[in-house]
Amino acid sequence: MSRVLFWLRLVVTANMVGFAAVRWETIQRPVAAVVVLTLLVCWSGFVSWAYADDRRRTSGLLVADLAVAVGSLVATPWLKGDHFGATIPGFWVMTVVLVWAAYRGARGGLVAAVAIAAADLGIRWPHITESNYGNVFLLLIGGPLLGRLASALKDLARQRDQAQREAALAEERARLARAVHDGVLQVLALVQRRGPELGGDGVDLGRLAGEQESRLRAMLHAGSQTTVVGSGVADLGAGISALATRATPVVEVSVPGTAVLLSASAVDELLGAVNACLDNVARHVGESATAWVLLEDLEDSVVVTVRDEGPGIAVGRLQRAAEQGRIGVAGSIVGRLRDLGGTATLSTGVHGTEWELDVPRVVS
Amino acid sequence: MGDQPVRVMVVDDHPMWRDAVERDLAAAGFEVVAVASTGREALARCPAARPDVVVLDLQIPEPNGVEVTRAIAVEGGPRVLILSASGEQGDVLEAVKAGATGYLVKSASRAELVDAVGKVAAGAAVYTAGLAGLVLGEFRRMETSAEPAAEDNVLTPRETEILRMVAKGLSSTQIAERLVLSHRTVQNHTQNTLRKLQLHNRVELTRYAIEKGLE
Repeated sequence: MSRVLFWLRLVVTANMVGFAAVRWETIQRPVAAVVVLTLLVCWSGFVSWAYADDRRRTSGLLVADLAVAVGSLVATPWLKGDHFGATIPGFWVMTVVLVWAAYRGARGGLVAAVAIAAADLGIRWPHITESNYGNVFLLLIGGPLLGRLASALKDLARQRDQAQREAALAEERARLARAVHDGVLQVLALVQRRGPELGGDGVDLGRLAGEQESRLRAMLHAGSQTTVVGSGVADLGAGISALATRATPVVEVSVPGTAVLLSASAVDELLGAVNACLDNVARHVGESATAWVLLEDLEDSVVVTVRDEGPGIAVGRLQRAAEQGRIGVAGSIVGRLRDLGGTATLSTGVHGTEWELDVPRVVS
Repeated sequence: MGDQPVRVMVVDDHPMWRDAVERDLAAAGFEVVAVASTGREALARCPAARPDVVVLDLQIPEPNGVEVTRAIAVEGGPRVLILSASGEQGDVLEAVKAGATGYLVKSASRAELVDAVGKVAAGAAVYTAGLAGLVLGEFRRMETSAEPAAEDNVLTPRETEILRMVAKGLSSTQIAERLVLSHRTVQNHTQNTLRKLQLHNRVELTRYAIEKGLE
């Protein structure tokens, strides 16, 4: 951006000096005019250098640039007499408007254009020609418009940078996943298998290795998917897969191979309910108990089943808990599902406990 | 198979793992007739070794486990048991569609491995809960796709019921108990689900080939 503006300023500065030289007879105070032109050329050189670096491109510098432009316009009647055609800076003033547009957006472009237009019309008043009016009109249109374009370009560049950064991150994660899969996961799985055969501490060692193996695997798997797909939509499958990383209970997850898309808030609520089921398993069956979570996408509804092989929930226990004012299961599972317009069905017995959470897909 | 021991080939690029699996299988009375560490080796050694079962890791040097499965799991060829540390669901599903008869995670115990190889050798399907969920999802995707599967390629209500139970972590013994069926019947149903999936996959491939004007 600053390079383009540098070349533009070079061209309009050369034009300003050349024009003044060719029409030298219109100047009534030659010594003062030479001083003003020299100042403008030096200023052009200075700001071109200053604008090249973000840190030097302060609001103070932009205001000073605009003040110089307005000042050179205001000095014109004194240098050229009251009946002048072109101003001393001429088209040079347009770079100031463009600089404001480029670095301060549409609003900046408008502010600079209004300041320049007011100064230009002020020194000519009341003798405004059609071409004066035309120039001012173009400046007022061009300033904000170019400002808007400049911000749009900057947004695009920012988005592109972010996309590139994310792609690089995903690639790095995939590379790590491959490396980890080939080494660490294999060794952990082997320790898990060989540990129990060693007896004694080996049993614990094997169990620990197994837990870490399944957690690491789930983490890599969850990391390879984008959880939030678009505005307000999320993949429930990725969320359910990530449950295998829970410390307690041991969770075995089963999901379809394709993404299960729901509104992000529904995904949050559903995962909250599933976690409540799993907390219950850890509390009532045991921390090292296993729970199975199955996710099914039935097109017009989504079903999540949470199963354990514990002693089951005694008849009336949940009812009593609710009557005693404890929110517990009723609130965190049944209530959440009711809010989603779905149902939570509990079946329990000697086989264990099974929650079936059924959420209808809202037709959008 | 009679008294002949089951012939097994082990394909894995990790020597440590390959040795461990080989030892376990030999100790359980299987005959390990060949080992391979890459897809190329596996394809080269398979015809001469004539294994009944190939225990195959999915992530091996080219060609990968899915392609190896596609090449060897043909009519009259060996049965393929995928043994993978991979959490890559897509690969597992592809391997099963390509003809693998079973899938086991590497963290499965020695007893589970020995049991699985025995089942696969006998032609039975070996499912994990995770694989059952994938297969269920695949059948549902097929039902709702633009070109639905042929009538005899969709799951019967009983098959769906059993597959759901497998996906919820129930063993075939538990399923047989709950549904008051024989263990054998449950095995037949699960095996059917895989057969239908593979059949559908072949039909799809053929349809695709015809559309593209290939042989």
